[in-house]
Formats: sequence, C-alpha cells, structure tokens
Amino acid sequence: MRQIYICTDTITGLYSALHDAWKECRDGDAGIEVRGKTQQQLFCEYRTVVECEQKAVRLERMIKRYLGCNAYWDIYHALLSDDGAKGTVVFRAMQESRNIKDSRKIMDHLGNPDVAKVFALSRSVSNEAHMYEEFIRFRELENGILFSEITPKAQILTCVADHFTDRFPIENWMIYDKTHQVFLVHGAREQWRLVWGEALNRKAAGMISEKELKYERLWKVFFESITIKERENPKCQQNHLPLRYREGMPEMFQ
Amino acid sequence: MRDRIQKEISLYEKLNILSDAAKYDVSCTSSGVERQGDGTGMGNCLKAGICHSFSADGRCISLLKILFTNECIYDCKYCINRASNDVVRTSFTPEEVCTLTMEFYRRNYIEGLFLSSGVLKSPDYTMELIYATLYRLRHVCNFQGYIHVKAIPGADQRLIRLTGYLADRMSVNMELPTAESLRLLAPHKSRKNILEPMRFVQEKMKENRQEITLYRSAPRFVPAGQSTQMIIGATPETDYQILRVTESLYKKFDLKRVFFSAFVPVNEDKALPAIREQGPPLLREHRLYQADWLLRFYHFEADELLDEDNPNFNVLLDPKCCWALKHLETFPVEINRADYHTLLRVPGIGYKSAGRIVKARRMGSIGFEDLKKMGVVLKRALYFITCGGKMMHPVRIDKDYITRNLLNTKERLPEGSDGMTFRQMTLFDDMNLSGVNVK
Repeated sequence: MRQIYICTDTITGLYSALHDAWKECRDGDAGIEVRGKTQQQLFCEYRTVVECEQKAVRLERMIKRYLGCNAYWDIYHALLSDDGAKGTVVFRAMQESRNIKDSRKIMDHLGNPDVAKVFALSRSVSNEAHMYEEFIRFRELENGILFSEITPKAQILTCVADHFTDRFPIENWMIYDKTHQVFLVHGAREQWRLVWGEALNRKAAGMISEKELKYERLWKVFFESITIKERENPKCQQNHLPLRYREGMPEMFQ
Repeated sequence: MRDRIQKEISLYEKLNILSDAAKYDVSCTSSGVERQGDGTGMGNCLKAGICHSFSADGRCISLLKILFTNECIYDCKYCINRASNDVVRTSFTPEEVCTLTMEFYRRNYIEGLFLSSGVLKSPDYTMELIYATLYRLRHVCNFQGYIHVKAIPGADQRLIRLTGYLADRMSVNMELPTAESLRLLAPHKSRKNILEPMRFVQEKMKENRQEITLYRSAPRFVPAGQSTQMIIGATPETDYQILRVTESLYKKFDLKRVFFSAFVPVNEDKALPAIREQGPPLLREHRLYQADWLLRFYHFEADELLDEDNPNFNVLLDPKCCWALKHLETFPVEINRADYHTLLRVPGIGYKSAGRIVKARRMGSIGFEDLKKMGVVLKRALYFITCGGKMMHPVRIDKDYITRNLLNTKERLPEGSDGMTFRQMTLFDDMNLSGVNVK
C-alpha cells in the first residue's frame, strides 16, 4: 500500500508531513498531499499528519545540513506554490539526493524529473514574489499606516517581507493576501509577522488619508507624460505587466 | 523675460511638463548597487534593480525621471527644450523634488530618483542646484534608495565629485556617435566636453575602489557606475560604427551600460531627417540592444558581428543567429561536452541556461527534454546542437535551409523531421528568403 500523508497548506504542515514520510518510508514510495486538494486514489492509505513546530524545525535543520542552504531555499519556495503535487515532488527530490555522490548538489541535477519540477515550482514562486515586490502599491490610511491588498497565486508574503522591512523600517505597513487570507504586519522599528485568521476591516481599510489622493493624481500624471506616444506598444506593456497584477495599481485606472 | 510674464505653476503642472521633457532619456535602470537600509531612514537598493511599472510604450518605469528645469541655454537641434523652441519653461525647487521622491517611494511607486536637467544660466549653476537637491534628499530626508544623476558637461570638477558621493549612478550623454554629427546637431556640445566628465568620473571611481579596500567605511563614489546614451537614426552612422563606439566605451571608459534611443522627431529642422511617416527606428534600436547584450554577457566582439562590408544588422534575424549562420562550420555542438563559451554562442541558449547546462551535465547526460525545462529555446537551438551525438530532428546543416526554418518558427517542427529530407520546388515559392542577406 502506498502511504499518503495529508497536511494543511502551511510550511509547518508540509514540513511535518515530510518529516513523517522521511521517518517512515524514505526507502519506499509515499505521497504528500494538502488537505482540501486531495484526489482519492485506489491502493493508497491516507493518514492525517500531526503537525507541530518541533518536526518542522527538525526537518529544516536536516535539509540545511544535508542538502545545503541553496537547496533549502528552492525547497522552501517550491512548497509555497499552489501546485497540488509540491509535497510529493519535494519528497522524491530528497530521496533522489541519496543516489548522487554529493547530496548538496541536488538542485543541479535537473535531469531528474522531480528535481526539475521542484526547480520549476521554486522559480515560478520566486518570480511571482519578485513581481509583487515590483507592483505592490501602498495607500496611506488616515492613521498613517501604509496598506496594500494583493491576490497572489502562491503564498508569497514571507518572500517579500524582508525586502519591505529593510526598505521601510520606520513605517507602519501591512499587506493583506486575499487569496490565502493572511496579513503581513510590520510595526515601526519592529520585526514583521504573519497574522492568520483575522478578517479584514473593510471600513478601516477604505479610509485613506487626505494627501493620498493628491499623490495618486501626481503619480498618474507622471505615468501619462512619461509615455512616448510614437512608441506606443500595449502588447509589450502587457508582457511585462500582466493584467492580474494591475488591480492595486492606481496608474492603471482612470 | 518669459518667466516674468508666466503665471505661477502648480506642482501638478510642473511634474507634467518636466517629466514629459525627460522622457527621451532612455536609461531607467536602478541596478548595479546592493545596499541595505540603515534602519533609520527609508530605502535600500538591489543589485538587479526593480521596475515598478510599465508605461503604455512598454518601457519600464523604475525611477522618478524628471528634469530639474527645462530652461536651457543650449540649442541642440533634436531636443524639445532647445533655447529656440517656444515651450512653457519651469523649474522645480529642491524641496519639491525631495517631497515627490519620498512620497512616491513610500507608496512603492518608484525605486528612486533620476535627475536630469536643462542648462540653466551656466553648467556650474545647474550642477550646484542638482547637488543641493541630492544633499537634501540624502541628509535631510534620509533617503537610501537609488539616485541616478546627470553630470552636466562643462561643470566644475569639484561639483561633479561632490555630487558623485551622493549619487549611485552618473551619466553623461554621448548623444551622437561621431564628433561630426555632434557638431552638426548639437553646436554647443563638443566631443571633448562630453568625454571629459566621463573620464573624470572613471578615474574617481578607480581611486575610490582603492580607498574602500583600505578603509571599509569610506564613502562610495558612484557605486553603480556610469552609463550613457546615443540617439539612433538622427544621423547617417551605420550600426557598425555605433557598435564600435559602444565597445570602446565599455573597454576604455568602464561604462556599465550604453543606451540607444530611437530618434523621435520632436522639432522641425533642416539638419534632421524627416522620418515622421515611418515612425522611430525601433527595430534597429532593438538589434543594437541585442548586440549590446552579446558584447556584455556573451563574450562577443563588435568585429565578429559586423564589418565594413556588412555594416548593418539583418532586419529579419537577430545578431546571434546571423553570426551562427556565418559560422556553420563550428556547429553542431555537443551539449554534453562543449565548454561554456561555446554554449554561449549557440542561438537559443542564454547565459543562464548555459550555466545550468554546465552544472546539470556533471550529474548525468542531458537530453532535449531536459534542455527545454532549463529554459533553452529549442526552436532556435535545435539546428545547432546535438545531445549524446544526435540531433533533435534530422536536419541539414545548410545555410538556406536553416535560415528558412528560423524565419518560419511558427511551424512547430522543422521541415523534413518526418523523414522527408527533400522538398518540392515551385515557381512561385520564394522560400521566404526575400530580404535575408546572410553573407
């Protein structure tokens, strides 16, 4: 019977599942699936993983020690994606690392389909995170907080957190991930943190400061006048700036 | 006289006028320097740079690109702000530039400031104003983001030096590739005048590198290097001349980037070509950028790409494909064995995928499927490579055949991959070869 581990779609959950799978069937075949996205198959045994911080920390340490920090970076990003097979391919890539001479070079072994898949997932997640570093727009609320709302495919909040913390260390800012309903909150001169399970207060988020509209207007006029009319090329614009990123960008709406 | 009659202009109007006047400056990169914020102000810099938006012409918006003033004493023929044009003239104050930059940056609209300027009263006077703005931005607003600033040709070296310590990148525009063209279209600028500050900044950067090795916390002078730009299509230079100039700028002046700007006619002048109907020479600009990449990342030299007999780029094929078609004797290359430099020269393989190939083949042999996953553009590469001694499809190493197929990339498979290696000729078939002139 093939063992399939079911976990929640969080890093702690996936790490716990990987931890259990590695402990019990590292030599055999096993699958890791995310609760709510599983497809029942024949000849499989399903088991829900007991998730805890300790397992996650232990697995993280193990990956970093045996596969190196670069591979850890790829694995971490791959596990943030919205692909249902992510847990299983990471598990198989970890198994594959035992077959090569130097396990720290696992991410160079792109000839292996599972490693290639992990690489592809990690690339797409980090690309999406980079897009949001570019296209997130903050609006200043009445109380001086910078607020932004995004709808990413992958759970990219932790990927952009350090970037914005370094950039705006003495600002209060907050990014709300509508898809996964998570907040990334940063208070002035503090570390960032993630907040789960809170609802967004629409009214408070809609109260923008007085100056906000003025600067939006200035930004729009800059955006208009910087275009060279003779070179207009909407297709090129859309290649670089896909439509799904545009919802929070004031310059894209009249 | 003019500014006395003119009524007070609002910030909105000013931004409209002065960003409109700055848009012909192409350089909009925020790359070349990695700097973390110090935790007390605002901003940081990333080595790769970040684009924050894309305007309707598809160009990236990374920096707040504005002129400090469009009042100019020079009369360059191609420029909208030349002294003889009747346009609304205005200037920012240093405070206004700082507020705009800080407020835009806070909202993640921009990556920093690009400050250029017309020449107000004298080069020294203008440079002083620019310095004052940058000083305020760095020391009063505590801004640690990216700043790109123009060195005004003819300004005092002391001012340029002081400004350089506040900016990340400095640029002086070449404007035109040859001294004759410059004399013709920009009578107040001279080649010597332009190259002088460029050389000065280069030498200061060299000095600064030594200082930094001695004292780790020495202030950085223009850490992201210099760039320049040339206008393409306003004067009769060939691509070969332009590329030669570009190459020597990289080699002799240590420039980080050379930008090309397709000439957009904004003024009527008998010295300028009338190309209003055809639009700006965008394809030519694109080919030059492709060649520029080949120079910087692919170890090509200008003389390999073009020569006196072939002074212009092919319209239909990119420079790398053209080079490969001229040197078919070196192909096909074996993916599992060829060295990195050879891989770089294969059309369809970029420097990133070449690096991935070199790493991946240490683990085991690579097939065509793996290449695709690594990001190789197989529809171009398949004519030039073998994997494990085999080509992807049975193709001929024949110039006409490959040219025809490269131009026809909408077709999924190369002709003859189903076993048919011959082709029925017809009288009316021009084989898609019109316009291609690969020598």
